[in-house]
Amino acid sequence: MKKNKHLLLWSSLGVLALLVAGAAEENFLKEWRRLQRSARNGAGPIDVRLRQIVVPALAVTDRCVSCHVGMAPGEQELSGPAAVVAAHRDVVHDPASFGCTVCHAGQGRATEKKAAHGTKPHWPQPMIPASFAYAGCGSCHTHLKVPNLEQLRRGASLFERYDCLNCHRLDGRGGGLRPEMPGFKEGPDLSRAGARGHRQDWYEHHLDRAASGDAVWREAFGPIPEADRQALETLLTCSVGAPGLIEAKSLFHSLGCRGCHKVGGVGGDDGPDLTRVGERDPGRLDFSRVPGERTLTNWFAEHFRAPAVVVPGSLMPWLGLSDEQVHLLTYYMLSLRLSEFPEAFWPKDRILAERFSEREFRTDGATLYGTFCASCHGRSGQGMRYPGMAPFPGVANPDFLALAPDSFLMETIRRGRPGRRMPAWGEKEGGLRPEEISNIVRHLREMGGDVPYREGAGGPGRWIVSSADGSGRILYDSHCAGCHGEKGSGGEGPALNNPVLLDTASDRYLLETVRAGRRGTVMEAFSRPSAVRSTLSVTEIEAIIAYLRSWEEKK
Amino acid sequence: MNADRLEGSGRPALRRFFDNLKALPGRFAASAARNGLPASDRTRSTFVFGNVFLHIHPVRVHRWSLRWSTTLGLGVASMAAFLVTLATGVLLMFYYKPYPEAAYQSIQDILFVVPSGRLIRNLHRWAANVMVVTVFLHMARVFYTASYRSPREFNWVVGIGLFAVTLGLAFTGYLLPWDQLAYWAITIGANIAQSPREVTDALGITAFFDLGGLQKLLLLGSDTVGEEALIRFYLLHVMLLPLGLACLLAVHFWRIRKDGGLARPADADSRVGPLAKDTYPVFTELPAKTYHLAALVRGRSPAVGRGPEATLPSMPHLFYAEAAVFMLTVFVCLLLSLLADAPLKELANPLVPENPAKAPWYFLGLQELVSYSAFMGGVGIPAVALLGLALIPYLDRETEGTGQWFGGPGGWPLVAKAACVGTLSVLVLEAAAIRFGWIREWFPHVPQLVVTVFNPGTLLAVIYGAYSTWLVNRYDSTRAGALGLFTCFLCGFVVLTVVGTFFRGPNWSFYWSPAHWPVH
Repeated sequence: MKKNKHLLLWSSLGVLALLVAGAAEENFLKEWRRLQRSARNGAGPIDVRLRQIVVPALAVTDRCVSCHVGMAPGEQELSGPAAVVAAHRDVVHDPASFGCTVCHAGQGRATEKKAAHGTKPHWPQPMIPASFAYAGCGSCHTHLKVPNLEQLRRGASLFERYDCLNCHRLDGRGGGLRPEMPGFKEGPDLSRAGARGHRQDWYEHHLDRAASGDAVWREAFGPIPEADRQALETLLTCSVGAPGLIEAKSLFHSLGCRGCHKVGGVGGDDGPDLTRVGERDPGRLDFSRVPGERTLTNWFAEHFRAPAVVVPGSLMPWLGLSDEQVHLLTYYMLSLRLSEFPEAFWPKDRILAERFSEREFRTDGATLYGTFCASCHGRSGQGMRYPGMAPFPGVANPDFLALAPDSFLMETIRRGRPGRRMPAWGEKEGGLRPEEISNIVRHLREMGGDVPYREGAGGPGRWIVSSADGSGRILYDSHCAGCHGEKGSGGEGPALNNPVLLDTASDRYLLETVRAGRRGTVMEAFSRPSAVRSTLSVTEIEAIIAYLRSWEEKK
Repeated sequence: MNADRLEGSGRPALRRFFDNLKALPGRFAASAARNGLPASDRTRSTFVFGNVFLHIHPVRVHRWSLRWSTTLGLGVASMAAFLVTLATGVLLMFYYKPYPEAAYQSIQDILFVVPSGRLIRNLHRWAANVMVVTVFLHMARVFYTASYRSPREFNWVVGIGLFAVTLGLAFTGYLLPWDQLAYWAITIGANIAQSPREVTDALGITAFFDLGGLQKLLLLGSDTVGEEALIRFYLLHVMLLPLGLACLLAVHFWRIRKDGGLARPADADSRVGPLAKDTYPVFTELPAKTYHLAALVRGRSPAVGRGPEATLPSMPHLFYAEAAVFMLTVFVCLLLSLLADAPLKELANPLVPENPAKAPWYFLGLQELVSYSAFMGGVGIPAVALLGLALIPYLDRETEGTGQWFGGPGGWPLVAKAACVGTLSVLVLEAAAIRFGWIREWFPHVPQLVVTVFNPGTLLAVIYGAYSTWLVNRYDSTRAGALGLFTCFLCGFVVLTVVGTFFRGPNWSFYWSPAHWPVH
């Protein structure tokens, strides 16, 4: 029995010791308690208790403010370690209205750092890194009418050049730069002009004040040309209090990513739909070829640097992006979130986008081209050649544009090239509207140097009849098949057997293209002499075209 | 004394009132301890049989039963683990919500916010695992000491029932966190319940007799693991199975008493040896023959038919032993809880299966067999094993070696050899199946019934059965065969569980370590 007594004694003492250790750990050693103990407000040490933001309608219970006490509602004038007492940066939303995890992700219910920041395995939504803080806006917002990067940057530089920063703050810069001037009054902060709205007649208002008002106005404001005004207006529409994010989105609208990827239902089908890609669980991603840390951010960044390395067999070409571009694109990817939450909380822009089909991108030709076309057809319409893929033709080629009527261009864009890489962009497939397509067409002409369509002999339509002697085939095989493939299936040159091409192209288009060629491309003018092949007479070209037409399906 | 005060003294009632108040603590203690503190032999006896909680114990217990080597305290340890699980489970019930929308978050609240929530949850999980282990070891102990023999056959069967209910409790509790681990483990369990379809499909009778479908529907309350399954499992876990366990435990303890206490060898009296000099108390008065009729019972008690010399009073000897084992178990559970967290993966997502999706660890040996044949591994072999276990006391009616470790013809050398045979056969079969594949590798179109009948699990059962039959003949004893069979199954179970736990990866393929698992 003595053994049992001893065993009972020592195991009981051990149990007591473990319980005491557990209690001490629970009540004193927890990190959030330690942090709160080290903070002080004006009246002495703060009250150590669990702090949380609870929003039942959104099913949010965020305990981030147990450690980040300075950001809790009602806490003021704290002193202590920086992380604890720092107040939330001045942002559009009061943190108490929606909680923290809506914008920052992470695990709101946790009270330990690793679990809360979501860096433990098994938490599907780790916190968005601080350098990409505004990516969280994408949980609820879909900013509308974002232009391409060039337009945005132009607007920003004009804003500075016209000295608007003198009186107006924008994203933390400017405002009150010359307070010593008599009668100086700071203008409204324009950082959120796009979200909150701004007066549409701001230019007229400024002119009026300049004409009638005091010295400050007269000296500070003057007439602005129309084009520059447009650029400034664009900038104002995009000022929603998320500077890095809008820049990222405008870069996305410059590189033509939507040519292959759908976002929000508009885009191509070659790549995955990116609408909610920022919410992907990093635990489900393949990191076997991704150097560095196993985070979603890093996966995106490495993928942009070398797509086919990270995703073997990927069709996405190596884009040669700079570090800044990779950073911005990663930023945008992280913002593609669109969480599910009650419609009562939907912001205006999301309602407009999802219920009223307003566009996220600006619908002028340059932005549309940059959003949908630039990746394949080049930033200035010069065409692109990626290794391992059929070359993408240049669409701003003056010879091409001179022969192609607007209707042909619009039909080509609308119907695409079935079976090839050019998607159909009509409303049912790619999702572009007729007026948007005509904007793109106008932009193409601008890119080509304002080249109009030139009417010529023959007009639209077909007149070529086939000869019975099969010479078209022989000529095609000897002169064309090398680039355009046997039976027109394509190769170095476009596929000539494509049903949409044959349906939309007039005989004159085909004839003149062969006869006069396209400058700057491999497509020669076959009516001109060459050392390596015979010239083609008009009759011979007509025979070839008749042969091409034979590939059309009989209706 | 009160009489003095009352008689003619003329003291007012107020003074009596204060006197009563002062005497309150002593009066309270005396009213509670009806028979008085255990200071003499008699009061030690009444302390036990007069107490509602303690009277399941005998008043005196045989010294053989008190030895550590007799039982290793495993029965008490199982009970202790159960009590810890019960207490922590009740605490968890204050916060847990058994609805899919709320379950996971309620667990997170318990972990992060409820005071000591993390500790209580860890304790619950660890104590449950400790309970499964100790129950299993307890069964092995009872078997190896041949303590199931007459008159304890029925108690052995009740014990098998307790084992099954313990596994049921552990399994139903596994679903409650509603995370990926839970959801997919129970999906597997439900599909194993559906596995009789493997046989009825092969025979073409599923349309008339869909036992598998019925079992799965009963288990889940629906076609998939969802809110019905969760509330069903919750009800089973917190009410029905604990009540069932409590009933079976009551019978189990009752039968220990009525069967004459713990089993011991016939010569236990002479083998206990002399008492240690400082053992106190044994008897404080010399035992004298007295005759009273306390009850007329059939059967045995420790003191019938022999003198009381080899016994000790339960108070305090037995209770110190029980308390020591109880505290040791609590200590082990608490230590494990403070050092290792109970797992919690991400919220259950029916669209994203775990790969590999693994059942709880105590079922991984079965899951390994299920990977060859769902019916055999999930229903057939477990049913045969449970039936076999239940039948042991009725088939082994010998008397040699009762109450002794590895008692019976053959003894420890037989068990050692059987362990080798058992381990070797399972390793060879597993290695062959892993390296070369099984039947479908060479005959892709063979009917499933062939694989159901002829797979590593059934082969193993046949090998073990053949070996045990050989042992029966060799030693001319069913006990020897039982020793061999039990040991073989034990080793096979352990090896299969180890393979299922550590060496099976995505798609249930064999990997030497998780580092070799393919990334998706």
